[in-house]
Amino acid sequence: MSKLSSITTNPKISVDSTAPRMRSNRIKATRLGSVIVNDYWSDLFAAKEQGKKVIWYNGTYIPPFFHAHDVAWVHGEAWSAYLAARHHEGDAQAAGESRGYDRELCSYARTHIGQALMDKKDLQDGKIDPQSAKGLAISQLPLPDMIINAYPYCSSGQQWDEMIYRLFDKRVPIFHVNVPMLWGGRKDATYLAGSEMDEKVAYVSRQLRAMTEFMVEHTGRKYDWDRLSEVMSFIKKSAELRLEAMDMCTATPSPASFFDWIVTIAHVNFMPGTQRLVDFFEAMKAEIAGRVASGEGAVPDEKYRLFFDGMMNWNKVGWLAEKFAANNACVVAGRYTHMSFWQEPQAIDLNDPVPGMAHNYLACPNNSGAPYMIGEIDRLCDKFKIDAMVMHVSRTCRGMTNSQHLIVDSARKHDRAALFFEGDVADESFYKDELLNTRLEAMLESLDSRRAMVA
Amino acid sequence: MGLTYLLFGVHPCMQRRGVHSRMESMQKILDRFAAVAGDSLAYAREWKERTGRPVIGSFPMHFPIELAHAAGALPVIIQEADDPITDGEGAVFSFYCGYNRSVADQALKGRFNFLDAIMFSDHCVQLLGTADIVRWHAPELPILFEQPVSSLDMKWALDETRAVYEMLKKDVEELLGVTVSKEALNASITLYNRGRRLMRRLYELRIAGNVGLSARQMQHVIKSAMVMDREEHTALLEELVAQAEANPTLASNAMPVYLSGHLCQAPKLELLDLIEETGTIVVGDDLYHGYRYIASDVPETDDPVAALANWYIDKNAKVPCPTRADGDADWDDFLLRDVQRTGAEGIIVLVAKFCEPHMYYYPEIKDAFDAAGIALLKLETEHDSMPFEAFKTRVETFVEVARRKRSVAAA
Repeated sequence: MSKLSSITTNPKISVDSTAPRMRSNRIKATRLGSVIVNDYWSDLFAAKEQGKKVIWYNGTYIPPFFHAHDVAWVHGEAWSAYLAARHHEGDAQAAGESRGYDRELCSYARTHIGQALMDKKDLQDGKIDPQSAKGLAISQLPLPDMIINAYPYCSSGQQWDEMIYRLFDKRVPIFHVNVPMLWGGRKDATYLAGSEMDEKVAYVSRQLRAMTEFMVEHTGRKYDWDRLSEVMSFIKKSAELRLEAMDMCTATPSPASFFDWIVTIAHVNFMPGTQRLVDFFEAMKAEIAGRVASGEGAVPDEKYRLFFDGMMNWNKVGWLAEKFAANNACVVAGRYTHMSFWQEPQAIDLNDPVPGMAHNYLACPNNSGAPYMIGEIDRLCDKFKIDAMVMHVSRTCRGMTNSQHLIVDSARKHDRAALFFEGDVADESFYKDELLNTRLEAMLESLDSRRAMVA
Repeated sequence: MGLTYLLFGVHPCMQRRGVHSRMESMQKILDRFAAVAGDSLAYAREWKERTGRPVIGSFPMHFPIELAHAAGALPVIIQEADDPITDGEGAVFSFYCGYNRSVADQALKGRFNFLDAIMFSDHCVQLLGTADIVRWHAPELPILFEQPVSSLDMKWALDETRAVYEMLKKDVEELLGVTVSKEALNASITLYNRGRRLMRRLYELRIAGNVGLSARQMQHVIKSAMVMDREEHTALLEELVAQAEANPTLASNAMPVYLSGHLCQAPKLELLDLIEETGTIVVGDDLYHGYRYIASDVPETDDPVAALANWYIDKNAKVPCPTRADGDADWDDFLLRDVQRTGAEGIIVLVAKFCEPHMYYYPEIKDAFDAAGIALLKLETEHDSMPFEAFKTRVETFVEVARRKRSVAAA
């Protein structure tokens, strides 16, 4: 028994903080997804040997444009998450800190910039040890031939890439796509619709086409628009399957959890659009459908249904999955998983995919004004029969924390409980396990009390 | 030294009676600026009651306030308040900059209720969140937002910015039920340019050592310009500049320093006093509540909306802004040049805690000044409390270091 549960006053509620008891019933098909991700990284590490140009990019999910042009791509956030998930982020963050980057800056950025600093220094000094585990991870990353920035909402992301640009002494060409916020102040504004949305779709589309010209300029090859349509056909199909599978999680118990979806973020964010991706989401959907039919839940004894708000704490994916499962709490949905990637596949016309892609990029939930975004969160919570909100206050990701007090305000109006816990995307030092334990215990107690009163 | 230097107290010409009365006149103008800067919302409320015209609040730093002025409104740049964060504590997390926390706090205290609208056009992620908090808690207050291009060196930046500014103009017109004519907008641009030129003249006089305006007083001049009726402010400025030119002061023998940073919020006056009470005199700055705000004029042309777009794109070349992406402009290079231009012997970088753009660019600045052998001191500021005694010790050490560097260079 954990220290915390031994002092609890309510014998019915004892938050189990000893996470690794494997109570969660993870979707098995995610293993197929892991193979796709591993192959992506292997291909990336071999990109230069294969004569491919490499783009470092940050922001929204624009890799189909790269894939169609046969260049390799590195998503800065993903690379930082890759290091964090393997607990290799420390050296990179220390390198950034020693140069003077404050630890209150986005930890993705600090890891990525720190990584670039280390690469630069090590390459200059010839000091990389390619045989060490950390050295392997670090030395394998191919350096950029181009940098592209395309962040919805987050100004910090743009500044991050400007730093990368300067770290490479402005020798690597950079391109910016501005994805403006959908404030929703006009009279005809509704969620992802109205004159503001129409204008912004056209604006982002113009920039995306200009982005292809930038790539053509730096590769010397013509852009293949038919290939983009082909790549997008796989992406669109994958997105549809994923959303259909997610919809099945309205079942009780929920057949899959937020933590099953979180490990598919890479697939909808930056994996190549191929038949293999479609097959993966087909497999996920089939397994979930099977679970619905048999009444099998992602958390065997599901008692509470939760919504996870905030960016993922990549150092703690497994840890958190087990913590909630151990307390019979199924985190069914989340802002990051259920609102952020290819949410609007119906908008994509494969004959001319660019406007539909722009539409999806603009649909990043943070990018819509709070009343609209929160309306969507409330709608999802109703749909998935959510009891309470778990708000991950990701310390250095202000794009995600901005509206969290308002989200809770609205949740309470809808009679949903909420807790905040502090952590971060890639800096483990901000995570406080005992705080989460205490607050989770209190929240589950309150849910039990409410149910008892209703009964 | 420090504040005793202020207001011309040591110049021999002050002994003459006429000069003394001019000094009093200057002091009255500075007092007026200080009063408006000290309670900008009170000024705006009183102005609205007096004129019956609308007041439009704006967040820093890139909104072209000439548009609101041309529509007959008083544009007011919303300031960080001095009082502690209380009501806003539950609306914004503690790891946000003081400006954002204060704005949310003021909104929850109902201080913006008299405004007719808030308009803004910045893309700071913290500010976007704060704007939503204001909208959530004051739903009856119109908040209009149009986002200009933030990557200024992209080919389409100018055309797209012009389109955004056309939209802002339309927003203002619809909000106030007026049409902003080309002539009215040009007249506003001319007026604002006049004010900016006069304030830049004060900076020139200060660099030359011909006017003894303290950092505190210079902030009052600029901050009041962000709030005050521009006709009134410009008239006072005309008088202030004329008096300053007619009454040159002796140059100070304090160490000239440069202040950099503090983008959206004004540095605390106590901090500015502390810096100048420690054997330094501020001769130049790139503060938003300083030279950054007045560095660029809007071209006076036949197409005023295009002129505003040009102003937005080009002003980054004058004083680079870390909130904009611009491969052609480097903040560190600008600071090295400007420190040299102003004759400063060291730079004090004021970083508002949690200001992300500043945190990104600070290492570049530090490296550049280290390489150039120019003394640099970073002070991290906060809304609620600051370790003034520790700051004092650090400024004193900085002064010693800068003097030693000067001696070494002279030798």
